[in-house]
Amino acid sequence: MTNGATHAVPVISWWAGGLGIGLILILAVALVQPIGVSTQYVVLDGVLLHRILPEVAAQSPYLVDTAAGWTLLNYEFFFVIGIPIGAFLASLATKRFSTRLVPLEWVRRFGPIPGRRLVWSFIGGFILLFGARFGGGCTSGHMISGVSQLAVSSLIFSAALFVSAILTARWLYGDWGKR
Amino acid sequence: MKLLLGLTLGAAFGAVIQLSGASSHTKIINALRLKDLTIMKLILTAIGVGLIGVHLLDALGVANLKVKDLYLPGLVVAGLIFGVGFAVTGYCPGTALAAAAEGKPDAWATVLGGLLGALVFAFMFPDLEAFLLSIGQYGPVTIHGSFGIQGLLLAAPLGALCLWLAAKLPAGGGAR
Repeated sequence: MTNGATHAVPVISWWAGGLGIGLILILAVALVQPIGVSTQYVVLDGVLLHRILPEVAAQSPYLVDTAAGWTLLNYEFFFVIGIPIGAFLASLATKRFSTRLVPLEWVRRFGPIPGRRLVWSFIGGFILLFGARFGGGCTSGHMISGVSQLAVSSLIFSAALFVSAILTARWLYGDWGKR
Repeated sequence: MKLLLGLTLGAAFGAVIQLSGASSHTKIINALRLKDLTIMKLILTAIGVGLIGVHLLDALGVANLKVKDLYLPGLVVAGLIFGVGFAVTGYCPGTALAAAAEGKPDAWATVLGGLLGALVFAFMFPDLEAFLLSIGQYGPVTIHGSFGIQGLLLAAPLGALCLWLAAKLPAGGGAR
């Protein structure tokens, strides 16, 4: 059913991963700008909507601003497109590509029903990006790039994020009272 | 040229996320449950290296910085909302893309939900702006900027502290 344990095992250690991400940030700051991901969800939304319903897309000043020129041909979008490409190649190279549908920890708590996991993943994704756009950034833009720049906004966003995520995870996974 | 650079840096980022377990639901959830701190150690290392490197570049005058605006209480509300989504999915906007590419269908659902959430936000923006984003606007504030000191003076010791913490935190058990 699931093989959560095997593909979850990292092949590089935390320090190598952290150093790698830190160096990518430094390179990005030296060459172009700090890294960021969540804005590109809006850009893709804008470009797609503009293809299908141009009048509706043009009604949102936020979309018009963010998806400037209704094009995906820019550095920021290509950076974000690179992420799945790199992850795909890395998972193939290390034989860790896996189509497991329900993650191990989820099965333990909520059972192996695929539909339930998919619906909650969708709802969670909605909340995630709504929060990211509200805050003007996500884990990459605020936590990695922003905190590295000593931005006050990023420190506050990251602190609130962790408090909320830790409390939600402990509640969701039933850690209260049974240790 | 810029596009190719973006693709290359993004691919490197995605590969590191994948290889280090940051796209693993189990790893993220157990980090948030404080049972396996590997991901916390990874983030602290990335920030430690980033703090020192970015401010070193800045001191040399070659950094392209982009500091995000501070607005209160909107940012706190935003962080709290984001955290709920992070814990429910076990992914963040970047790692969801990595996990989707590794073949995880639940990460695809997260990406699709994310696209809808971002779209709804875009159309709610004028109303939200009036309520939550426009009060307590302070602009792009930095800690060193508000003290009026060179960033590296603060970033170097803080970066060292992050790296020290990353080394000192217990790794906790494996994925199990």
